Amino acid sequence: MRSKGTGFRAYTIAYLIFLYAPIVLLPIFAFNNSTIIAFPLAGFTTNWFRELATIPALHHAVWNSLVIAVSTSILSTCLGVFAARASTRYDFPGKGPIIGFIMLPLVLPEIIVAVSLLVVLLGIGIELSAWTVILGHVLICTPFSIAILNSAFQSLDKSLEEAAIDLGETRWSTFRLITFPLIMPGIISSLLISFTISLDEFIIAFFLTGTQPTLPVYIWSQLRFPTKLPSIMALGTILVALSITLLIIAEYFRRRGIARSGGQDAGGFL
Amino acid sequence: MGATGANRGQPAIMDAKTRWGRFRRSEAASGLLLISPTALYALLMLAVPLAAILLYSVLTDGYLTVEWTPTLANYAEAWGDPLYRQVMLRSLFVSATVTLVTVLLAYPVAYYVSFHVSPSRKSLWLFLITIPFWTSYLIRVFLWKVILGFNGVVNSSLMTLGIIDEPLTFILYNVNAVVITLAHAYAPFAILPIFVALEKIDRSLLEASQDLGESRLLTFWRVTLPLSMPGVVAAVLIVFIPTIGDYVTPQLVGGPEGRMISNAIQLQYLRLDNYPLGSALAVSAMAIVTAVSLVFLFLNRRFLRVRQQ
Amino acid sequence: MKPIIQIRDVHKYYGDYHALRGINVDIGEGEFFSLLGPSGCGKTTLLRTIAGFEDLSQGTIHIDGRLMEGVPPNKRPTNMVFQSYAIFPHLTVAENVGFGLRRDPRTPAQKAAAVEEALEMVGLKGYGGRAAHALSGGQRQRVALARALILKPRVLLLDEPLSALDKKLREQMQSELRRLQRQVGITFILVTHDQEEALIMSDRIAVMFEGQIAQLAPPQELYRRPVTRQVAEFIGVMNFLPASVATVNGARIDVEVAGLGTVELAAEQCPGGARSGKGSVGFRPETLTILFEGETPRGRVAEGTVEEVTYYGDMTYYGVVPDGVDVPLTISMRNLVGRRVLERGERTRVAWDPAALVLFC
Repeated sequence: MRSKGTGFRAYTIAYLIFLYAPIVLLPIFAFNNSTIIAFPLAGFTTNWFRELATIPALHHAVWNSLVIAVSTSILSTCLGVFAARASTRYDFPGKGPIIGFIMLPLVLPEIIVAVSLLVVLLGIGIELSAWTVILGHVLICTPFSIAILNSAFQSLDKSLEEAAIDLGETRWSTFRLITFPLIMPGIISSLLISFTISLDEFIIAFFLTGTQPTLPVYIWSQLRFPTKLPSIMALGTILVALSITLLIIAEYFRRRGIARSGGQDAGGFL
Repeated sequence: MGATGANRGQPAIMDAKTRWGRFRRSEAASGLLLISPTALYALLMLAVPLAAILLYSVLTDGYLTVEWTPTLANYAEAWGDPLYRQVMLRSLFVSATVTLVTVLLAYPVAYYVSFHVSPSRKSLWLFLITIPFWTSYLIRVFLWKVILGFNGVVNSSLMTLGIIDEPLTFILYNVNAVVITLAHAYAPFAILPIFVALEKIDRSLLEASQDLGESRLLTFWRVTLPLSMPGVVAAVLIVFIPTIGDYVTPQLVGGPEGRMISNAIQLQYLRLDNYPLGSALAVSAMAIVTAVSLVFLFLNRRFLRVRQQ
Repeated sequence: MKPIIQIRDVHKYYGDYHALRGINVDIGEGEFFSLLGPSGCGKTTLLRTIAGFEDLSQGTIHIDGRLMEGVPPNKRPTNMVFQSYAIFPHLTVAENVGFGLRRDPRTPAQKAAAVEEALEMVGLKGYGGRAAHALSGGQRQRVALARALILKPRVLLLDEPLSALDKKLREQMQSELRRLQRQVGITFILVTHDQEEALIMSDRIAVMFEGQIAQLAPPQELYRRPVTRQVAEFIGVMNFLPASVATVNGARIDVEVAGLGTVELAAEQCPGGARSGKGSVGFRPETLTILFEGETPRGRVAEGTVEEVTYYGDMTYYGVVPDGVDVPLTISMRNLVGRRVLERGERTRVAWDPAALVLFC
């Protein structure tokens, strides 16, 4: 078996190089002392990072994105808790179709979500703003939250809650004392994942943002100007470092959740 | 239920009350109540908008306004105009190619992680595979432009090494670039479902097959592959459906001959303000995606039934 | 016997599925009561209706004289030991045991003393500070017991509490549960699919099949006088031979048994009640005796051929086909000193006692 595995191993490592190639280039050009994004390299500089601090439009965009991502992660995690709880604990008429419909944005092209929301929001006269972006982002993040929280609720033994009720607690205090602490790791990783998705989402924000661009929309507008590219590389480096940090935190909580409920690690997100 | 009240000689109204109480505490009611916030949100933010573009797609465009005259002209244009037909066919072709390439390339990776990595290290490998997916999509796509461009990484390295004299031009601003970039972007979507399906396979089945005289290769062909088909089917759908609606990649690396349906939709909505035609294109795209997915599911129904046993 | 639980005409439907079909039973104060049956017979459902986790579709349950309709589990004088033990993994052992005391008006020090006392009772003195997820199966079981008993319930409900333990530990916990029940003096209701466990531990056993109680009796009566073939087959091993009732003569019944001839039975040997027509008689493996050379028979004797020999060390189980019958009878014999083990194909004599027979019609 071992000898068979080496071929696969080499292939998988090659595949990982393919996956990481663009990301590895990012810091290389971010520190490259040239306005042209191409080889050969011209020397080391931190100018591009320093330049980021001088662009107010970027700072507004970052602030918008943060507000949108934080609101989205909280709202979609709340909606996710309701839906995941209902789907793992209860049987009710129409369960399959209802949950299927809620999960639909997972497989719906984002441009469809974006244009259909745009049509309705403009149709009823709502002005585009950060809030309209949040509406769209919550819609596409909720299925991810549900998927993560579903596994959190599933690994929660139903008899733990029954035991708490049997020992004199009410439904609400049982949720507070037993359910909530035990699904906490799932909630944290749902918050982090929705935050990351919202922070990175472009199409919906592009259609629904109005006059307050989010960070991806800002980046998109800058990609047309070749002189802005090196600082976009610097910005990208910061973003990648940030999302990898967030992911590691999310992964840490997911594993702790599994360890706590005494279960087996079954794999990654999704 | 009736016997309870009657036995204790209580009025019928008490009985009705307890029945209502029972329904309120019943599973169905609790479940529906609990799912209602999320379901209502999906109804308002998804069902209503989808219905709205369906409605818009049969209305008449009147330059910056929409007239309430039902018409099929938008569909006639979306399906009749050779330009849109070409864009639509190209989108299908690109998505199909991306799906094929992505799933074929992903299968051995999923197989390696599931069968050759020790259980304690599996999640580390999956983690490594998923990390690039969580980094800025826009910047990732843009970096492919840097890699594949005229002065890009590929061309400058090949020229430095003396393999080519002129920069290659067939790798950027065309369909090839779109396929490579999308295959990169959707890699984890293909790997994870296949991995999950492979993990579910009882390893003793493979031993049984070899015990019954099949070689390792034929065991894969007759046992492993059919049992992992649910994962492959999921991977195909989860790659195919979003890629057909991708906007960023064709816009950045596709060039004029790499435009796809999303670019046409965006053009109608944000540039030309022709909502009815944009809606007709969007509805058509959804219809095509749904039709292709259903046909694909139908063709693979044999493999999916196994999962339910 | 003063009843603590009165169950009257209880039905439970899950959609079209009729899980409980008219359960009537009184369970006494301080009794060790078992619900025994194969999986899916409704025993756990019945336990959960007593605990309040399932609503009744019809009928009533009174606990301690109080109607339980609409009373939620947290307001019932019952506590439960769950099959999975349901030990809260994020709390310590002491926090688990003291979980139900949160609303108790006692001071923290008094509560801590109560927890320590409960832990001592189940043999876990000094374990209070441990993390719950680090406990072994047997320890979890003890924590679950302490956690329920600390609330001094009128009834303790145990849902297959021993099924997850290995054989050695299970036997140890069986005697310990019995001891605990005598010590605290409250009613224990045990759900189990293990007939041996039910026989060992219970004062009375209700055998359930398909949502109904087939027989409700103390262990000895259940074993010796099962009312139906189904009960007899579920409890231990029983041999059956075809039989038909010849004459009924007051309290005496004459039965024609295949291969054994006419047998006169007392009325109590027909616990099912029906006493006419065709049916079968049953007898336990240990009521039959193989006669070795030189042993004198007590009761009646049949001749037959040894068809199967299964050696268990302390016991040997024989399958003997009596002349004139085509079914082998299982006979268990102690392997006493000097007694040889018969071989397949040997002819042998079998002594049997008509008083050990049970008639099923």
